[in-house]
This record gives sequence, structure tokens and C-alpha cells, in this order.
Amino acid sequence: MTEFAYVGKRLTKPDIYGKVTGEAKYTDDMTVPSMVEGRILASPHAHARILRIDTSKAAALPGVLCVLTHKDCPDSRFSRSTMAEALPEFAFTGERQDQYILTDKARYVGDWIAAVAAEDIYTAEAALELIEVEYELLPMILDPHKALEPGAPSVHDDVAGNIAFEMDHPFNSGDVDRAFAEAEAVVEFTGVNSRQKHLHLETDIAIAYHESDGRLVIISPSQGPHLAKKHLTKRVFPDLSDGDIRWLSPTIGGGFGARLALGVEPVAVLLARACKRPVRVTTTREEDFSGYSSRTDQHQTIRVAANKDGKLLAIEQIIVADSGAYLSHSATTATVNMQKTLGVLKCDNIRGHLTVAYTNTPTTSGFRGYGNPEGAFVFQQALDRLAEKIGMDPMEFRLKNLKVPGDPSCFVPVPLEHTKLEECIHLAAEKIGYKDKWQGWGVAKPGRYKRGIGMSVLTHASGAGGFLLEHSSCVMKVLSDGALNLIVSPCEMGQGIIGALAQVAAESSGLRYEQIRVSTGDTDVTMFDIGSHASRSMLVIGNAVAAAGVKIKEQIRDRAVALFAEHQVRVTPDQIEVRAGRITSDAAPGVAFDVAQVAYAAIYDFGSGGSQLNASGSYLSTSHHPNHQAAFAEVEVDTETGLVTVLNYVSAHDIGRAINPLLVEAQMEGSLVQGIGFALTEDFVIDPDTGRVLSDSLLTYRLPTTMDVPDMAHLLVEDPLEAGPFGAKGCGEAGLVNPAPAIANAIYDAIGVRIHSLPMAADKVLWALRHGEGAAPGGSRVSGQYL
Amino acid sequence: MKQIGTFRVNGKHCDAIIEPHMLLVDVIRDHIGLTGTKRACASGNCGACTVLADDQPICSCLTLAVTAQDRALETVEGLRSADGTLHPLQQAFIDHCAAQCGYCTAGMLMTAKALLDANPRPSREDVKRALSGNICRCTGYVKILDAVMDAAQKINAAREVAA
Repeated sequence: MTEFAYVGKRLTKPDIYGKVTGEAKYTDDMTVPSMVEGRILASPHAHARILRIDTSKAAALPGVLCVLTHKDCPDSRFSRSTMAEALPEFAFTGERQDQYILTDKARYVGDWIAAVAAEDIYTAEAALELIEVEYELLPMILDPHKALEPGAPSVHDDVAGNIAFEMDHPFNSGDVDRAFAEAEAVVEFTGVNSRQKHLHLETDIAIAYHESDGRLVIISPSQGPHLAKKHLTKRVFPDLSDGDIRWLSPTIGGGFGARLALGVEPVAVLLARACKRPVRVTTTREEDFSGYSSRTDQHQTIRVAANKDGKLLAIEQIIVADSGAYLSHSATTATVNMQKTLGVLKCDNIRGHLTVAYTNTPTTSGFRGYGNPEGAFVFQQALDRLAEKIGMDPMEFRLKNLKVPGDPSCFVPVPLEHTKLEECIHLAAEKIGYKDKWQGWGVAKPGRYKRGIGMSVLTHASGAGGFLLEHSSCVMKVLSDGALNLIVSPCEMGQGIIGALAQVAAESSGLRYEQIRVSTGDTDVTMFDIGSHASRSMLVIGNAVAAAGVKIKEQIRDRAVALFAEHQVRVTPDQIEVRAGRITSDAAPGVAFDVAQVAYAAIYDFGSGGSQLNASGSYLSTSHHPNHQAAFAEVEVDTETGLVTVLNYVSAHDIGRAINPLLVEAQMEGSLVQGIGFALTEDFVIDPDTGRVLSDSLLTYRLPTTMDVPDMAHLLVEDPLEAGPFGAKGCGEAGLVNPAPAIANAIYDAIGVRIHSLPMAADKVLWALRHGEGAAPGGSRVSGQYL
Repeated sequence: MKQIGTFRVNGKHCDAIIEPHMLLVDVIRDHIGLTGTKRACASGNCGACTVLADDQPICSCLTLAVTAQDRALETVEGLRSADGTLHPLQQAFIDHCAAQCGYCTAGMLMTAKALLDANPRPSREDVKRALSGNICRCTGYVKILDAVMDAAQKINAAREVAA
């Protein structure tokens, strides 16, 4: 087995030093000379047409540079989602371009009406209050099911029936009706997830200014600046070209998918172009809540069928998703939900249909897992219900229906190449002691505090090859001291990708990890890349880095021949080894050089052959290389209060190979706690009378704290994926998929009641205990309705 | 009404032109130029803006700058010793990978420092309770708790050697 110098080691990530010293610079830490402050006026109404808007008083306030409204916006429509630019033209119609920067018709409480630039933030905020708007109130629609009913108020005048998007599962297969008719057991489960907020601690922000050559610079925490730049020039400001913009994405204060959609960047550009000054647009935490971007709530009914031996015969999934006022990522997340949910287990008869409805609520978006956690919450409970009906252990039931390589993968019709899900299930079950803890279906637990155990399995992609424009490139140059400048474009939002890629670069080039200097986040410097999402960076960008590293190593070997010759040793390049910055050869024991010698000589060569060591690498992914995970949760339910406590959680992850196990573990721990919040407390509450977001602070929207961390273990099943860089698969999103369904199944095991909506908060659990689950099917919108 | 405010931050005196309504977090960041302290919720619910005032952790987003003039303020920039050596907490955060996006990190470090200064041998439960007002959305807290426990142990070991 190959012994790696860096791959597989628990190394410190290079960007962490600046984060513990306070030196790391986020967008809000940056200033540009003569910069002014921008703020946005939001609509107080869920649905209203602007009859009259008077900005004269605001504009007359000393210190105000400009006040803009819909009249000052380009006449082209765009989507907050930039994904349209990564999809083949017309390949997917779920990328409706449906909004303007500032609107003349408010479609949710928080929709953007006007923007102000002023010398300081206090003046900008004072100016917002001086803008006079006269609205004509329109009937609003807040519920996606009601929005689809005939005669419902129209959110968009040009969209009939509020249907933002509709499609059948693209890979519908088999004879579903016949399978249901002939099956020995059929069950149905209906459920809905809540609109989990990303809650990146750094709120939305952007700086825009013109450089001396007239080009526009944007600084913002974008997860995909290249794609955002393309989108901004193609859709938002069509008078600009791709080359007119330089986008800088500095240290990012959390992303989780939120930065995949455009935030306030279009407003910053609009203001900077109008007032000819650098403009910083900031948002408050309350605006972040009521503005836009959360997980899409997907109302689902899933029907599954099996024979008495536990073979899964058919799956049918009906999704009604709520996009909110604009489409953004809601259609694509619903599609991914279908792919991942219906694709995790082997089943010959599959049917799915999804409808995305417009409502007068904040726009929803993509969030870590991108549809997969939404689907898993319902599907994994449906599977348990089916296992119960045929009297089979839920783990055995899943094991019976696992896919093997060659089966259609979750991204059918591509065949599955690699899976270690079976090993994951056994490993995690063993670790948590499943055999002793699961006592069978319907076993009543004594006492007030009841314990239960539940499980869930998942498949998730490493990139979306075959679907998105899935390629990436990097450039490397070796500096005179043997350090390697890796120029590459993943966005570091904390996930540790910069460090992991540095490990890949060091391993493949033979240079020292400590000397890898990563340059990223500048579209003028880095090569095109569609951004950090879809758990793609490790596999797609990692392969590009590995390919470039191999070329650097070849160059070092070629040049090192002369070094050995100086010591009267004749070796060929293939007899030379380069590892951790040292050059050696088995043909010459005792002779060794530092890579710095070659690198220095290459640059400071006054002869004819001088050139710095450099290489580029590219990778195009045509498949999605799924990773897999099994997870078990053990919970305790207080039957007097309904409070659910997660006691223990074990996951086992089919990761191919962990480039840095410390970083993978960190990803799994973070996503688990985020998943516990999704499962138990995080409730996005919209007032049914006004459409206002009621949970608009960290006091009313409850995130997990240090007090909510259970015992946990995250086990890695390493079996290198042939297509992965050193065998690695992606992993960033997977940890958030299993917590909610595993906890839901554990709650059922504890108290014999299923919870149909997220979060499974104490009031809801208590209500279900007292009134039966049928009495509380739940909606994702109104909290406290069960008290 | 503008006035000159005099502050003592990380042992140094700094003057800044302030107004009565200004928050300490904004003065520290925008006027004194120490941007390590972050502003994330501006309502005292997340702890990202935590600084120490006379050794006590406070939310600088809930503190009017004018009221902080007579107090000894400490921010994340003051944690390192004068020769640049990292504070054991900072080193432990690096060793345990206890910072991901890093936006909460300054607040976490300052709260943890106040805890260890007051209680040099905390139990894991003590650390959990002390940090429960500091929200982190990335790490799942496990590595943060590990780091604080590790730092406490190293500070105590160093103290014993010195004694």
C-alpha cells in the first residue's frame, strides 16, 4: 500500500491562524477609500403594488448620494440562483428568471423597494425613513397548497396558477401501479420540513466600486464568484460583459448554500454605478431572516410497497414545494430531493412528481444537502413504517434493499460505480449497540423518560457531473524557496477545502505541505469554476490540483538529473523520487537535494533555459460519484413536556478516502449539530395574518448551543474511489441529511408516535402524545399552534 | 453630538471621535480599527462580539461606547503576547481545528479566556455552560470544547512548572 506523506494525515488547515488572531479579513472588515454606505428599503406588505413612490425628501437629506427605485433598474429579469449559467442552454427549465433588483410590486414582506447610498450608515438609515411609498394592497397567498387552488391570488402576473415549476421525475421507471397493486404491504407517509435558515454568522454584505481602468470590482462572500459574475453580466446588467467585472470573495463567514444565490451584490453595483463612489451594502440580522434564503419547505407524500420478504417494490413521491416569492433554487432542490430520495435504495418501480408553487413569503433557496435532508425526513420514516408493517427490523429492511455497483445510481441512468453503504450500516450499528438497544416494533417503554433508537441511510453526490458544467482548473508555480503557489478557486467558507487541496497539491507535486501558498477568491487570478457546492470541491477541484501536481513533479525530476550529475551520479528522471520537498534516488543513497535548489535554479537561470516551474491542471467530471452514510440516533423523550434530547449519535461514512480525517470529522460534527437544530428547534415562523417573519432574531429562532451537543462518533469507511483524487469523495453536505430522519425514527421507537413536520419541537411532540399523530400533521409555518 | 472618547484597549490608550448612540462594537471595529471582533446579531444573542471589560465578558453590541471609557477592554487582538506567541487558547483552537468559518471565533476565545481566568480547572460541563451564549454554526462545538479543555490543562501545567 502506498505510504503518503500528507494524504490521510490530520494536519492543521492553513487559514485557521488568521481566524484565531483576528487577522482574517471578511468583507465587512474591508474598506475602500471614499467608500459610502448602502441600505435597502424593504416592503412592509406581503403583496402590494406601488402606486406612488417619492424619494425627494430622502434625496434632499444632507449626506445622501442617491436614492434608487425600480425605475432605475435594468429592464432585464434574473434569478437569485446563478445555476442557470452552469446548465446547458434549455436543458432544464427550472431556472425561471423572475425578478428585478428593486420591484414595483412587493411579493413578500421584505421584498426590495428602494436603495440608498449615503456618506455614513446613520444617514443611510435616516434616508430610508424619508422615502414615501403609497401601496395598493393585494390579496396575499401564504400557503403553497392554497396557492395552487383555482382562483388563488397570482404572485406573478405572467404565471398561471402560481405554478413556478412542475415536472415528473425524469427517471420514472417500471410499472408503479402494478407494483402497488401486487405488493403485500403498502404504506404512506406525509411530511414537511421547516424553512431552516442558514444562519451564517456573517450577514449578507457586498462592496462594489470602479477601478481606475473603469472595471467594476465586487467584494462579497460568494460561494461561486465566477458563476455569479457570469450571471450578473448576462442577466442582471446585460450592458456589462464578463470581463468588465472582477469579483473578490474574501474570507467567508459561513455559507451552507446561502452564498450560492446572489445576495445584495446587484444593489451594491446599482448604487456604485449611480453615485460613482465605492458602495458597501450591509444587512441586519433581522433583514437576513425576513429577506430571503432558507431551506425550501417541501410538502411530500411518499408511498412505498414491499413484499413480505422485505423487497422494496415501488416508491411514489409527490412533492409540493414552496418557492416563496421568487423561484431561486427551489425547483432544483426539489429535483435533487427526488433524485437522492428515490435513488438511495434499489427499487425497480419509481414514480415522482413535483410542483413548485409561488407564495407571498420570503424566497427559499438551497441549503446544505440541497433537497436531500428534506426528502430523507419523509422517506426514511416511510421505510420504517413499511418495515413495521411486514414485521421486519428496520436495519435488516434497508440492508435487504441496498444497491450494488452496476445498479442505477441516485443520478439514474448513470450506473453506480462504488458503494460501501453496507459496511457503513454494520459499522455504525456495532458502535452504537443497535442489536441490544432496538427491542422490536411496538414495545412499550416504561416511565416518564422514554428512550428510543432510530436509523437512516443516505446517498449524496460529489459534484453533479453529467448535469452541471462540472469542470475545474488550477495553476501552480514554484517559488524560489521551493514553496508552491497554488492558484485555485474553491471558496473557503470554513469547510477546510483550502487545507485539503494543499495536502493534495503537496502529495502530488512532492513539495512540502507547510510551503503550499493558496491564492483564491479572485476571478482575475483563478481559473473558471462553478463554485463550492454540491460537495464537489474535493473531487472535481482536487483532481485538477492532483493533475497539476504530477506535472510539477515531472519538471522537478527532469531538472534534478543535472543535480545528481554534479555529484557524479547518472540517473534518469524515473529513478528520481520527490517527496515532502526532498529529492532522492534509490540509485544514489546518501545523495539528497531540496526542491528549493531546483526551483531557485529554474528562476535565476542566466543561461538560455530559464523558466519558473509551473503547471496547470484541469478536470472534467462526467459522473457524480455518490458518497453514502448510515446513521443511528438514540434519543430520550420526556413524556411530560415533549422535550426530545439526543443522547448519542453514530454515523459511518463511505468517503472513498479522507484526505484529512480531522477536517472530515469536523464537517460531520458541525453538520450533525446543524441537523439536530433542523430536527428539533429551528422554526421559521410566518405570521398567517400578515406574512411577516416572526422568528426574526436569534432569540426567537433557536439554534443549538453547546448545551445541545450529544455524545457522537463519526466513523470513516475508506475504500478509495478510482475517480477521486487519491481516492477521495465529497462529504460536506452529507452529515446534515440523516439527523432529522434518524431522530424521528428514534422518537417513534421511544413513544410510538410519528411526527410529520419539522422541527419536532416539544410542543408538537407533546400534542402528538396527547392527541395522536393524526391530529397534528403539522405545517411548517405556525409555531405554538399545538399549545 | 460628537465627542472625543478615550478608551483603553489591550493595554493601549486610543482616542476616537464618537457620538452618544454609538455601540462599542462599532467603535472598536470602525474607529479603533480592531476588526477581529465581529458583529453578527447586534442583539446580544450570538456572542460573536464578545470582548472583555475589566476581565468580564460583555457583548460589545449591547454596550454604548461612552459607557466603556473607564474600563480595561480586551479584544482578540490582545490575546497574543507581545513577542507574538499565541495564547494557549489560540494554539489549542488551531491544534483541534476548532474554527471553521471563524466568525464566532473571537467571541469564543474571549469568553473562554474569562472562564479560564476565573476558573482554571473547569469541568467539561463548566465549559459548555460558559460558552452556551456563543453561537457557532459550523463546528458543532465538539472541537471548541476539546480545545478549551486542552488549553486549560496546558495553562495549568505551565503554571505548575513555573511554581
